[in-house]
Amino acid sequence: MLHDTLLSTLILTPGAVGLVVLLLLPRQADSAARWLGLLASLATLALAALAWSRFDPANPGFQLVEQRPWLPQVGISYSLGMDGIALVLVLLTALLQPLVFISSWISISQHVKGFIASMLLLETGVLGAFLATDLFLFYVFWELMLIPMYFIIGVWGGERRIYAAVKFVLFTLAGSLLMLVGILYLAYLHHAQFGVWSFAYGDMLRLNIPMGAGFWGSPQLLLFAAFALAFAIKVPVWPLHTWLPDAHVEAPTGGSIILAGILLKLGTFGLMRYNRPLFPEAWEAATPLFMVLAVVAIIYGALVAWAQKDIKKLVAYSSVSHMGFIILGLFAGTVASTQGALIQMINHGLSTGALFMLVGVIYDRRHTRLIEDFGGLAKVMPLYTFAFLLATLSSIGLPGLNGFVGEFLILTGAFAEHPLAVALAATGIVLGAIYMLSLVQRVFWNALVHEENRNLTDLTWREALAFAPLALFMVWIGVQPGTFLRLSEAAVRHLIGG
Amino acid sequence: MTSHDLLAILPELALVLGGGVLVLAEVFAPSLRRAFGPLAALIALGAMLLRWTVLVDGTAFAEALRLDELGRFVDTYVLVAVVLAALVAVPYLRRTKHEFGEFYGLLLWAAAGAMVMAKTDHFLVVFVGLELLSIGLYVLNAFHRTSGISLEAGWKYLVVGAFAAAILLFGIALTYGATGTFSLAEVAARIANGEGLSGSLLLAGLALILAGFAFKLAVVPFHAWAPDVYQGSPTPVTAFLSVVPKGAVLVVLMRVSAAFVPAALTPRWLPLLAAVAVASMVLGNLVAIAQRDLKRMLAYSGIAHMGYALVGLVAFGRDGLAGILVYFAAYTLMNIAAFAVVAAFSESEDEPHLLTDLAGQGWKRPVLSLALSIAMFSLAGIPPTVGFTAKFLVFRAAVNEGWVWLAVVGVLASLVSVFYYVRVVFYLYMKPLPKREPAYSEPWSIRLVAAGCAAAVVALGVLPAWLLELAEAAAATLVR
Repeated sequence: MLHDTLLSTLILTPGAVGLVVLLLLPRQADSAARWLGLLASLATLALAALAWSRFDPANPGFQLVEQRPWLPQVGISYSLGMDGIALVLVLLTALLQPLVFISSWISISQHVKGFIASMLLLETGVLGAFLATDLFLFYVFWELMLIPMYFIIGVWGGERRIYAAVKFVLFTLAGSLLMLVGILYLAYLHHAQFGVWSFAYGDMLRLNIPMGAGFWGSPQLLLFAAFALAFAIKVPVWPLHTWLPDAHVEAPTGGSIILAGILLKLGTFGLMRYNRPLFPEAWEAATPLFMVLAVVAIIYGALVAWAQKDIKKLVAYSSVSHMGFIILGLFAGTVASTQGALIQMINHGLSTGALFMLVGVIYDRRHTRLIEDFGGLAKVMPLYTFAFLLATLSSIGLPGLNGFVGEFLILTGAFAEHPLAVALAATGIVLGAIYMLSLVQRVFWNALVHEENRNLTDLTWREALAFAPLALFMVWIGVQPGTFLRLSEAAVRHLIGG
Repeated sequence: MTSHDLLAILPELALVLGGGVLVLAEVFAPSLRRAFGPLAALIALGAMLLRWTVLVDGTAFAEALRLDELGRFVDTYVLVAVVLAALVAVPYLRRTKHEFGEFYGLLLWAAAGAMVMAKTDHFLVVFVGLELLSIGLYVLNAFHRTSGISLEAGWKYLVVGAFAAAILLFGIALTYGATGTFSLAEVAARIANGEGLSGSLLLAGLALILAGFAFKLAVVPFHAWAPDVYQGSPTPVTAFLSVVPKGAVLVVLMRVSAAFVPAALTPRWLPLLAAVAVASMVLGNLVAIAQRDLKRMLAYSGIAHMGYALVGLVAFGRDGLAGILVYFAAYTLMNIAAFAVVAAFSESEDEPHLLTDLAGQGWKRPVLSLALSIAMFSLAGIPPTVGFTAKFLVFRAAVNEGWVWLAVVGVLASLVSVFYYVRVVFYLYMKPLPKREPAYSEPWSIRLVAAGCAAAVVALGVLPAWLLELAEAAAATLVR
């Protein structure tokens, strides 16, 4: 029985528990809320693992499909399905969520109920957006993420949290509202061409969207732009990235992990799922532009990260650079580069999630994130140093760890068609190594000049528990990438081929 | 007058008589005052029950009243608004020591006016219904008679309303001159027979009718009265005023459009409506940002929302009209939820309802704050709320009829609106409580209204199919 509703159960479990936490728990039940949140996220993880076990990697299409009429008069259905691309991202989401709860067990002490509920509702939105196969449903889940994230940044964030939260909301909505008009226009086209109202993803793939002449005269280019803007803001693609440093820096640690680890992936996922197959000619036409933007993002992000004095800001800007690689891989458009982009989405989720988590650890102890306030921590916090170093090496792509696999696949896959872009992007890798290693140097190795750092406690077992699964996957993907690449290969081949 | 006619207006009769009973009870049994509010709500509920059980089809009063699904939809919506407004009014009137039977009597009479107006095909009956509605409201606006701004609101609404009524009446007269009939059905029949009904007299008449109604809708450029009247009126009246007259007027506009627009008027009528819609959406939302008083903010937000509803009227067709009807239902629920909470979050009616009064209340008063937040997200059009569904349907109709640019303007305007709606949530949850904690009361009836409306906003947002079905059936009475 669960087979018919597995995806619904997976999506709705966190949200339902979130509503219970929000509406039914008594006001002071902080501990109960934490446990409920953790259990719900673990249950979701178990359900995701179950979906994985039932998934057939050889089948490129949607599996575990569910479909029910929702607004039949308008042609909207509640339809879900999972292909290999969605699967790996769902797994990443389900993995990160419990770790977020564990890592913020103590650091979130105000309005705990609200935090847990926001996080769980957010997870429902994310999972739904990955698994929806109806454009309207996708849009609903996409927007569902907005309100919880607004609360997470705005209530539990840092000093400039209000500014960051409002900026996040307005940027995100600016893109997605135009996408809504795009979705409406697609439905209109479907009715015009087939005589039936539909918002189903599969139906949209059959549309013949005219290219027309010029930009304003071309429905396909305009639609591509409407969708791409929404996704590019989310990624974020340079120059639309300015909300990201604010949101990341001001968000609480758990919020940053989810934001960097998962929400950014929705942008690249959207480009993959919607822009490429729905608007192939426009995709072709936009490739040079996005190549340039990707290379600029890689280098600009790296240079700005290099200049940062705040560790969290540095990691935030490194995201801009890393997401540039993913865009490059997507638009290069070969199977290898696209697979690389997908696995890099996972890698970035793991390594940046880990880095934000670790930055949170020392912030909890010292209430500062300035690089200059640290130095010589290696002696004081050996375990922490090891963890940070592992995450750093994963982030800069050391062979044997996950980051290397993704970057290598992207660059080799893209080289034949776009040698110049690859050459420039490769400098980004070098820059990445420079700023990350110099960060490690300044925080962990230099002389221990600040007395207050002498007595810092090392990772507690709770913090180590939150980090360990990330470390496991960093090594696993690095050594045995086939396990994960295999899941999405059929779907990616299908995407590239058709 | 036949028994058929009487059966047809049974709900209206119930309201009018019930209102009379309340007014008399004020004189003869003032000790029962506490029961007046719940009684008024019960009378409205009873009228709703009558409307849905005593089904009279066709027309009544020599074809002056049309009893169709559209009328039933609007009646339901008006009566829901009456029930909610009456419940919000109970604690309000008690606190301001204005708990008089006349309040509820006038409320019920005004509702009867709105219901008559929305069901008629006859221009003069429209006018009579509108006046019954408006005159009730003039008094209700000024009901808080010891408060200067309440009196000011009543006076302003009276002057502007009389002005609008005159314009409307002049427009009706010109239209009569051009067509020789007051009946919309007759106009439609003549157009169907191929009698071209154009000419400058008719055009001027329709333009004046549109202007008169635009006053009542408070759309740009006829909106200037709205902020002052909203702010000054007793909050339960503002809640009623912000939804009922607008809904009734929009239905009349729908009927007028359906009768006239297929004729040669379309190329002039639609750009005019589109211009009014764009101006309302843009101006309403931009000016709302500058407001510090919640009731004024909601007034400007209402201006913008009528702009969105007009987008549906521009698109027309069954989709556009059904979109407008869903918009009504959504707007009623979210707006009344908002006003109910605003009424609770104030210590004194003589003070303005400032945004800063909300600071920190989110954690202090979770039920009301959550309801207000849901209302705000719904007004902003963020899923999964019925406010989103309504906007979606209206914009969908616009895109399908080729008004893509109008939909784009609409979504951009709602992006602007997100800023001020979200700011309310920001004050509730992200500002600290002030040092001197305000002593707000949280009466049960307000909690009921706020929580009920918020729950309905979400429920209808998640499962809108049923509402849309009703709305489409209603719209189908005007267009196929």
